[in-house]
Amino acid sequence: MVNCLGKLKVVLAACGLLVVCMQLAVVPVTAQEGHPLKGSWLGTWAGNKALGNDVLIVMTWDGKNITGTINPGTDNIPIKSASLNPEGWLVHIEADAKDKAGSALTFVIDGKIENLPLASRSITGTWKDNKGGTGAFRIGRQ
Amino acid sequence: MNLRVLRGFFFVAAFAVASTPLVLAHHEPLAKFDDKKPVTLTGVVSLVDWRNPHVHVFMNVKTGAAGDLANWAIELESPIDLEESGWSHDTLHPGDKITVEGMAARNGSRQAWGRSVVVSTTGRKILNSTVAPPPMPLQAHPTPRWPDGQPRLGGAAAGTQGYWAFPSATALVESGVNAPMDAWGLLKNIADAPKVAPMQPWALKLYTERQRRFLQDDPMYLNCKPPGGPRQFQLSPGLQLVEDRTHQRVFVLIGSGNNNYRIIYTDGRSHQGQVGGDDENPLFYGRSVARWEGDTLVADTRGFNEDFWFTNGGLPHTDQLKLIEKLSRPNYDTLKYDLSVDDPGAYTRPWSASWTLRWVADREMPRHLCQENRS
Repeated sequence: MVNCLGKLKVVLAACGLLVVCMQLAVVPVTAQEGHPLKGSWLGTWAGNKALGNDVLIVMTWDGKNITGTINPGTDNIPIKSASLNPEGWLVHIEADAKDKAGSALTFVIDGKIENLPLASRSITGTWKDNKGGTGAFRIGRQ
Repeated sequence: MNLRVLRGFFFVAAFAVASTPLVLAHHEPLAKFDDKKPVTLTGVVSLVDWRNPHVHVFMNVKTGAAGDLANWAIELESPIDLEESGWSHDTLHPGDKITVEGMAARNGSRQAWGRSVVVSTTGRKILNSTVAPPPMPLQAHPTPRWPDGQPRLGGAAAGTQGYWAFPSATALVESGVNAPMDAWGLLKNIADAPKVAPMQPWALKLYTERQRRFLQDDPMYLNCKPPGGPRQFQLSPGLQLVEDRTHQRVFVLIGSGNNNYRIIYTDGRSHQGQVGGDDENPLFYGRSVARWEGDTLVADTRGFNEDFWFTNGGLPHTDQLKLIEKLSRPNYDTLKYDLSVDDPGAYTRPWSASWTLRWVADREMPRHLCQENRS
């Protein structure tokens, strides 16, 4: 009897987990329906030796300009310029920073918005700096 | 794990699959069905599922000479719409032989949108979902008024029932523009997209993509999100305006969507959030303050969030959206709705639109709940 109850609990737990997973997989997440770049974006710029692989970008839209900050709270790099070309949803971001030694770093990011209708949309592309650093870039909207 | 445990696991897994909500609830039919794939089916009704947001008739259709049967799901309008056109849940029964004309599902499944249903034995056409507004009286009745002379926007006289419905426009289009659409705001010709409103390039591209996807990303249908802004006044099941003159506010109640409500304050307050929970939070319905200018209620609304579509058809907006809505009742049966849209985040200049709604007298507003995506 005790053995049967134990198995029942395992089955119920597994099934409950399965139901939750299936619901999560099917129900679409809530979308943010305004300007496609607005929001907080978290991801990686692979191989960035100056600032590390992880990157957080916060962007907003005032009707004319895209503004924002890269790694707010830590590196606090203001976005110098950013643009969105709706034809292909191409994103271009430029920002000036300093490395740990205090020398100037200029970052250029080029990417493309993927999964535009979803709140969990992403931007994939490449980053490069003025010191030869370059790599894959991928951030997802939070 | 022994066989019994596995069996139990798969039983509940099957239940999970069956209970998984449909991705599209009450929706633009073309989001799911393809008008380039007409289909005619003759078979026998096996089940009538009389539920919101769409009635489904299941029918067995013979396939091939061997007499094999395939079960098709025929999707129809909502029970409210079908009842308006003379249907009831007793109109069809299992065993009835019917012929359905419609359009097949885009995904190739055995589903079709029913445009015509004929009972084979009698030849009686039982589907006619065209719902017409009540006829206008030959001579317009005067605007009902409160004892102080102010027009009654929300009712006729104490104790009478009624609501506003049959909007003359069901999607936002700038005044003076001719851009034909269906009832859900889907353009007949996608090339008309730039004419609909003075959109910024990103907004035009986003609008065009939403249209090309047949509006299937609409958060009101997908996620049961409130229809903020003018969309409240474009919903086919209608709305009620409840004037609470004691507390100087007007409630806008919708009979569809998530049955939410909006408050228009007429007590002279500012746009600053003054109710617990709305302090400076961007809201689905924004913050509406209004004043009377003669016989017109002028509502100024701002403080919108960006989590919804503010019109059928998917015109984008941002949190910079400001609306001026002018509500008037030129006669007993007509509500006039004039709108000015100012959203420098999505549009190149302010623009306007206008339409009317019809008074449906002596009836309760029908209720049609989007039910959190469960159909």
